[in-house]
Amino acid sequence: MSRPENTDHGGAKTIEQAVRPLTRRTFLKGAGATAAGMAGLVAALRPLMQLESGEITLGDLLKTHYQELTPEKLAQIVEELEARCEKDHGRRPTIRDIQPLEGVEFAYALNLSKCIGCRKCAHACLAENNQSRESDTDINMSYIRVLQLDKGSINLETADHYYDPETVPQKSKYYMPVQCHQCRESPCTKACPVQATWQEPDGVVVVDYNWCIGCRYCMAACPYDARRFNFEKPKLTTEQLNPNQGYLSNRVRPKGVVEKCTFCLHRTREGRYPACLEVCPVGARVFGNILDPDSEINYILENKRVYILKEEVGTVPRFYYFFD
Amino acid sequence: MRATLRNEGGGYLRFGAFRRVFPHPLRVLFLLVTIGALANVVRDVLAADGPKPALPDVERPRPAQPPIGVKEDKHLDKKPVRETKGLDLTRMGWSYNCMECHKLFPAQWTHSQYVEHKNIQLNHGKNRFCLNCHHSVERNTFVDYDGSVIPEAHVVDLCAKCHGPAHRDWQAGVHGRRNGYWQKDKGTQTRLRCIQCHDPHNPKFKPIKPLTAPTYPKRAAKPKSAEHEPTGKH
Repeated sequence: MSRPENTDHGGAKTIEQAVRPLTRRTFLKGAGATAAGMAGLVAALRPLMQLESGEITLGDLLKTHYQELTPEKLAQIVEELEARCEKDHGRRPTIRDIQPLEGVEFAYALNLSKCIGCRKCAHACLAENNQSRESDTDINMSYIRVLQLDKGSINLETADHYYDPETVPQKSKYYMPVQCHQCRESPCTKACPVQATWQEPDGVVVVDYNWCIGCRYCMAACPYDARRFNFEKPKLTTEQLNPNQGYLSNRVRPKGVVEKCTFCLHRTREGRYPACLEVCPVGARVFGNILDPDSEINYILENKRVYILKEEVGTVPRFYYFFD
Repeated sequence: MRATLRNEGGGYLRFGAFRRVFPHPLRVLFLLVTIGALANVVRDVLAADGPKPALPDVERPRPAQPPIGVKEDKHLDKKPVRETKGLDLTRMGWSYNCMECHKLFPAQWTHSQYVEHKNIQLNHGKNRFCLNCHHSVERNTFVDYDGSVIPEAHVVDLCAKCHGPAHRDWQAGVHGRRNGYWQKDKGTQTRLRCIQCHDPHNPKFKPIKPLTAPTYPKRAAKPKSAEHEPTGKH
């Protein structure tokens, strides 16, 4: 006579339950747990195995934060990075560690009356910054998202950055490219648990790609969707590779780290304009030193109507939108 | 006039005088010579193999445009919206020169664009006349308020006659694009001039095809606005 288990006994156990002999079920359970444990152990030891096979170097395992690197150590890392880039992408780049300029704080302004939404900036960003891409038309990793908005208000709820009409600008629409705002009160740097991202003295928020652990907290913290994550090893052909690289900006990133717009600091710290500005066909973009009272950016702040995206979240950006 | 002549000569004076000057054999000879000359002209026109009249050849290959930005930026597409024909390209070795034609064909107020330059559609605000901007005598140049000459390289000054605020912004580096170095003591900064972006005869920007969009995440739900895209309402 069978009866349902776990009833009427009030906590008393059968002998079978107490002793638990080795049944088929418990055996399989145990075997599964052991296999999972072994797999975990193998995964944990994988870096050591990669070390033996030469996929990674000892420097990758015993890393130092960028701000604590000695010049010799940095030179050694740069050498390794250049060699790896040559091996993976067929061309040896020049990776430089360019320091911020004295008395310079960068700021950016964008003319919303002029922008026609052609996305040339978003594509130039890729050409400059060595983001991973499947093809020349793939801009998913671009630091710039061009939003298409309905005229009449700045309503981000109805904004669309996947628009693809025959021609732009569309009637009754206007366009707002959004990229990193290099905030003075940057939520991303506060969210980072390992301080792998910080503000430089010239205002640029940078990421130490060797120190980032890929937790993506900064991406969640950013109100401007300015950060991108490398879900896989960057795909770049030799032609797509830009050999002029900066250690904190556009060097080829490893898998599993976050990257972002740096105002092209390998260009701008040498006095040049960022790539997105260089290609804008309508001249909507203005870049300069906000500490210089005669700069173009100060002309805009003094003479134009300026709009700050999501001003109410208190990020105090160094990126301004303005109208003619 | 005719009446007085008729009274004097008693008939059609012109024909009568012709008869008196050329007697009969000479008259025949004159006619023969005239017919021969006409035949020559007709033959030349029909055959068109003879030496052509020496007109200037103004069809030229496109010149090298003024440099924009830094040479190393080959991976960036810095081409301006328009290619210019004029500006200071004559100084750069290109011989586009309006006077090549206009020496032979002086411009006249009675000439309209229905005779020449038919490819130009003037659609620039209230401007209806070529000579609002172009100089009437010095065809390579533009005209200032007082009728004096604005050289073609200074075309910005011409536009500034009407577009003061835009010119002020351009001088401040806020209107139009600048390339190269924001830090002017480190390198050269090039700036585009009005007609490198705006067609002076039709200054409004033309709509262009946008470059490729990011792809919509494969497994993400489509928003309602995207589903109803064709109607354009959401």
